[in-house]
Amino acid sequence: MESTETIRLRILEAVPGALLEVVPNGAPVGQPSLLVDPEHALAVARFLRDAPGLQFDYCSNVTGVDWLDREEEEIVRDRVAETGGEKKIEEPRKRVRPGYLEVVYHLYSMALRHGPLVLRLRTGNRTDRVRLPSLTPIWRSCEFQEREVYDLFGVVFEGHPDLRRILMWEGFQDYPMRKDYVEPDDYEYEPTPHDDVWEKARRHYPAPTVGSGGETSGNPGS
Amino acid sequence: MDVGLRSELQRHGIFVTTLEELYNWGRSNSLWPLGFGLACCAIEMIAASMARYDLARFGAEVFRPSPRQADLMIVAGTVTKKMAPQVVRLYNQMAEPKYVIAMGACAISGGPFKQGYNVLKGIDRYIPVDVHIPGCPPRPEALIHALMTLQQRIAAESLVGPNRPRHLRRDQPGEFPVPEYGSHDLIPPKNESIWRPPVIVRSG
Amino acid sequence: MLCLLDSDEVARLASVGLVLSHIGMDGGSTEYLTLGIFLVAACLFALMPLGLARLWAWRFAPTKPGPVKNSIYECGLESQGDAWRPFKSAYYLYAIVFLVFDVEIVFLLPFAVAFGGLPLGAVLAMMLFVLLVVEGLLWAWAKGVLRWS
Ligand code: SF4
Repeated sequence: MESTETIRLRILEAVPGALLEVVPNGAPVGQPSLLVDPEHALAVARFLRDAPGLQFDYCSNVTGVDWLDREEEEIVRDRVAETGGEKKIEEPRKRVRPGYLEVVYHLYSMALRHGPLVLRLRTGNRTDRVRLPSLTPIWRSCEFQEREVYDLFGVVFEGHPDLRRILMWEGFQDYPMRKDYVEPDDYEYEPTPHDDVWEKARRHYPAPTVGSGGETSGNPGS
Repeated sequence: MDVGLRSELQRHGIFVTTLEELYNWGRSNSLWPLGFGLACCAIEMIAASMARYDLARFGAEVFRPSPRQADLMIVAGTVTKKMAPQVVRLYNQMAEPKYVIAMGACAISGGPFKQGYNVLKGIDRYIPVDVHIPGCPPRPEALIHALMTLQQRIAAESLVGPNRPRHLRRDQPGEFPVPEYGSHDLIPPKNESIWRPPVIVRSG
Repeated sequence: MLCLLDSDEVARLASVGLVLSHIGMDGGSTEYLTLGIFLVAACLFALMPLGLARLWAWRFAPTKPGPVKNSIYECGLESQGDAWRPFKSAYYLYAIVFLVFDVEIVFLLPFAVAFGGLPLGAVLAMMLFVLLVVEGLLWAWAKGVLRWS
């Protein structure tokens, strides 16, 4: 398979105006991925499926990633004119990078037996700009997996033939795989709580009676 | 009847029994489970009913495809919140007397998925469970052990008196409320009248 | 109805009937008396278990009907609509064709077991029987019963 960078150049030739970015991967596998802008995603996907030499005819996996708002620290270097010359100053500045939802597609070619190529699509933010084009018209195998991403992350796929919840029931309102999902509190009975479950379970404990000497049952020494 | 007299009579080839014993003997040796499985534990249940472990020795191999003919519900596997209303409805549709075995960590407490968003933390929040089997998954022997425990419990049931089992009492309900799908969780999240967790008091 | 009794029972009842008929009137009506006793005994034999079960249920198994319990069974889901709805008639044709072959097996199996010692006539008769069944199948085939549309 051609490298992700050459694929990017080929796409740029075929789909002018597409905003593509190769996202490097620091992990040992070093598998870079291709960030595609939503407007051209459908055209890019069609090109990837049909272009000779690429022929990514099989989308094996669609998944979602939730990126929260992140505070990034950047160091601003500046030169300030001073009496008797110039002075370099470095001041750290905090910047909030808004969060977004990301949908990741893993593409393979059954015909040419290569892959994977990893595509990423990003939404504008995590609340109201969560629409992305559906790639189901290109790869039929995306249908259920995009429904799953819709169900668990709340990404709305435009052009999806049947966008309904698939794992949770109709009428469920949260998106459980988002990082800020608050699960219902059913920690009444936790015989062996630990870590954050301990905190949740503790809300159900009756208040210890003052002066009773502490321990009544379980968990000695806590 | 006096136990001594009974064994004495038995030695002379005279067997005496009571109607109650006969009735319970018949019932406990023909427990027909409802044939459904929810997750990996169901595979062990299937294995238990096959030739190697041979649940048929205990009269419980007749897995019924309809709740109307079943009297034992083996909740084998993960009960997701989406599945819970169906399980409760199936339980309600079974004819009395009916018994429930909760098989595996998932069915008794949510198991490995306890802190997940979609798994019910134990089916005993909605229906009364007679025997719990821990394990992930429990071996077929454990299921057989649970079945034998249940048989012993049935054999000890009395037909009259204040200690009658639930199904013989007119004031006890034959069906339990089926939870509804809510916007965040099942409504209600538990049936308070049958699920009373032990109160854990801890300092700190 | 008499077929509900096993042979022992029949013998016992018959002897009772005979005794009664000797005690009672003699002459032509005795055979009818025996028959009458048989009839009553047979009815009792059939109805008594049902009655006993009913009695047991009334005393020891309180019925607890409820809206969910009495609802239509649909794999635990809430049922959609009524259970009394027409089914496609093709199901019945299929069932009948299946039944034909089911019955055929009943005859073919003993035939196959005893095949070695059968005279030519029996073999010919069996061939005729199979031919009839095959003809039935061909007819069903020609009629398009085997095609699911
Ligand atoms: S207890 Fe373990 S084996 Fe059983 S259903 Fe749960 S995860 Fe599967």
